[in-house]
Amino acid sequence: MKTLFTAAALAATALAAPALAQVQTPAEYVATAGASDLYEITSSRVVLETTQDARIREFAQMMIDHHTKSTADVKAAASRSRVRPAPPQLNPTQAELVTELRAETGAARDKAYIAQQKASHNQALAVQKAYATEGTAPALKAAAGQIVSVVQSHIQMLMAM
Amino acid sequence: MKKLMMTAALLGTAGIAGAQSRSSVNAPPPPPPPPPHVATQPPAPAADMQAVLDAHMSLQPKPIETLSPLRARLQPSAADATRKVMRTRGLSTAPDPAVTTQDLPYGSDPMQYARIYKPVAAANAGTPLPVVVYYHGGGWVIADVNVYDAVPRLLSKQLNAIVVSVEYRHAPEAKFPAQHDDAAAAYRWTLQNAASWGGNPAKIALAGESAGGNLAVATAIHARDNGLTAPLHILSVYPIANSDMNLPSRRDSANAKPLNTAMLAWFGHYYTTSMADMQDPRINLVKANLRGLPPTTIVNAQIDPLRSDGETLAAAMRAAGDKVEQRTFPGVTHEMFGMGSVVRGAYDANMYAIQRLKAAFGTR
Repeated sequence: MKTLFTAAALAATALAAPALAQVQTPAEYVATAGASDLYEITSSRVVLETTQDARIREFAQMMIDHHTKSTADVKAAASRSRVRPAPPQLNPTQAELVTELRAETGAARDKAYIAQQKASHNQALAVQKAYATEGTAPALKAAAGQIVSVVQSHIQMLMAM
Repeated sequence: MKKLMMTAALLGTAGIAGAQSRSSVNAPPPPPPPPPHVATQPPAPAADMQAVLDAHMSLQPKPIETLSPLRARLQPSAADATRKVMRTRGLSTAPDPAVTTQDLPYGSDPMQYARIYKPVAAANAGTPLPVVVYYHGGGWVIADVNVYDAVPRLLSKQLNAIVVSVEYRHAPEAKFPAQHDDAAAAYRWTLQNAASWGGNPAKIALAGESAGGNLAVATAIHARDNGLTAPLHILSVYPIANSDMNLPSRRDSANAKPLNTAMLAWFGHYYTTSMADMQDPRINLVKANLRGLPPTTIVNAQIDPLRSDGETLAAAMRAAGDKVEQRTFPGVTHEMFGMGSVVRGAYDANMYAIQRLKAAFGTR
């Protein structure tokens, strides 16, 4: 009985001591942000191929512009932080989402695009906020802080769509 | 005593790592559960259920219980896996256009908003529609209204009802009872505003999945205790309802997918401030005052560490004199309720719940 108590206490202490936080490493943050931007740009291009909706056209073009800029900003901050970013790559879920978008046509593609945008922007905000709050590389941390407000403005626009 | 120690071990770092770091999305996970949990193999899922689990694995999820909340929120969901199966079968994965949505805030925090689902067919109908307030799952830590789109959309279309899918603040940034407070606030807000969306606030039901299945019941209790309009019905799908970590399903489905027993401890590690929270009747619903609650339907999946929660909650509600129907669907897992388009057992569960809600609303 007593030993079990001790074991539990030891396990808890052992865990608490080394890792106070599991912040993304600078390289992991750069790769995650890069994949997120690449997904935004790719999916927005796919919807621009077919959409007849002026509001979606305008939003998708803005996504391409803003996420191209955030990729460039993170890349510049990465080099100041001595992180060499690998070319961004979609993760398996992002690749699947793009495939799903291509499988839809017309208004269904527009609706799928907006649904995807709402989900992916919440994830993007989580990544940027987490690094802006506790990131370890100062230049990247500052870049994340800038990107947080951009992503928040996209989420505001999506609330109305 | 043994139970308490188990909880202590499972909840891990409570009070030791410090409240500050534990409210961060980068806070480390709790220690892994003790070895006995690792041995049991759950029953085999039905072939169509297995196809969704295989699709999930193909998206390369990392085990949630080993991750920080941030990394956990970036993992592929059961909904992602379901859409992949739909696509490979040639089905559309786009949102069903028979239902429109509108996002509206119900509080000042950016997370305090709701997605209002409305059937297109009812757009110009004169009669106010029934209303369902729905709470999504994700253990109060991961997922959001976007991940849980399938069920509120289906309920809106099939019931010809307004469905209010509630987003709420998540842990660990906001810990228990923030989610229960938001759930109650959204219910109150819906009662006040449903008429302006074409809904009938007197014809209202509560529904939810998993952590949201808990919120549906907890909010009905809140309504009873605060003199709010009582819901006509509660639909609680595989709720979190019992803090006993030795329940049969905690052991027989310890290694189930997409939810395992270790993940339950992981969620608790982040949504509680102290171990005492696990015994709060809003979480440990089986020990709440359950008297005088509306007729209730509890839906469970066989292969799910939360199965016993639903079964014991049904027993506790019956003992309190409530009208309860509970069914456990075989060959399916946690999260199945959003898979009705590709999993037969899930479709059956959907149809069962819809029939129960139609009866409650007096519609056909």
